[in-house]
Amino acid sequence: MRAWKFLDSGRVAPFGGHVWPAPSAGAPGEWLRFPAQEIFACRSADLPWWIGPELWEIELEAPVRGLETQLAAPGGRLIRRVVDWDAAALRAYGVACAERARALAVDALTRDGRAEEAAALTRARSMLELSRVARGFAGDARERQSSNLAGYLAESSMRASEAAAAAAANIAANAAVAAVKDPTAFDHERQWQAQWISERAGLTPVPVAAM
Amino acid sequence: MSAARPQDLACRELVEILTDFLDGALDERTRTQVEQHLVLCPGCTEYLRQFRATIGSARKLAEEDLPPRVRENLLDVFRHWRHGS
Repeated sequence: MRAWKFLDSGRVAPFGGHVWPAPSAGAPGEWLRFPAQEIFACRSADLPWWIGPELWEIELEAPVRGLETQLAAPGGRLIRRVVDWDAAALRAYGVACAERARALAVDALTRDGRAEEAAALTRARSMLELSRVARGFAGDARERQSSNLAGYLAESSMRASEAAAAAAANIAANAAVAAVKDPTAFDHERQWQAQWISERAGLTPVPVAAM
Repeated sequence: MSAARPQDLACRELVEILTDFLDGALDERTRTQVEQHLVLCPGCTEYLRQFRATIGSARKLAEEDLPPRVRENLLDVFRHWRHGS
């Protein structure tokens, strides 16, 4: 079956450190198999958990197991690189996630009667500026929800400014939980993030019926 | 069921189980937590890279690569350590 796989630059496996064989002349790369170790890849919904610099379409060898946040198979081979997922897309993803945290913080500040602070967050132009402004409003995070969300926003936008998109996204998902005090909000935010990645990278649906 | 949260694993905990991670000795859930933590944490990713580089360097060493004096000093340290002094 087909799935997606994030790799480090140069087709390097982020945890194993090995280099994946490249497709060439329109043919898939060589099959990769390891003794006593499976190959892991993503369904579309899994993408936010495994963000990396390169995104590839991969063919997995049967039988494929569906896990909580990934697929596991005895072997895999690279089919093609998703060229629309590049450094700019990675950075934009982090910013998009931090923007979601900004919206939550602005709403909370407004509800708490902190309209001027909400406006200041709205005015911030760069992620770095947003982080600095938000940090100033997070001082009494234990006292007020709006301060708590400003704290999440400060962290998420700081990571986005550093192009640490995976961390920015994870913090934004935690901000969503804090905003509604409901743990399921984390998964809902992850779903939004997965949709963003799919649209930005131009991913076509891959068959996941067996999962 | 919600997925395991990467923040369920602290950096300190990851360092303690990194050898098991590299040996493939972790259960599936813990291994996934380690990998999800690594996606988020540049510090632990760098630690893993250095750990791998150290293992790679050590594998290239043969016993005769050790100068005799260093070898004797090490053996002396081990002898005293085993005797608890």
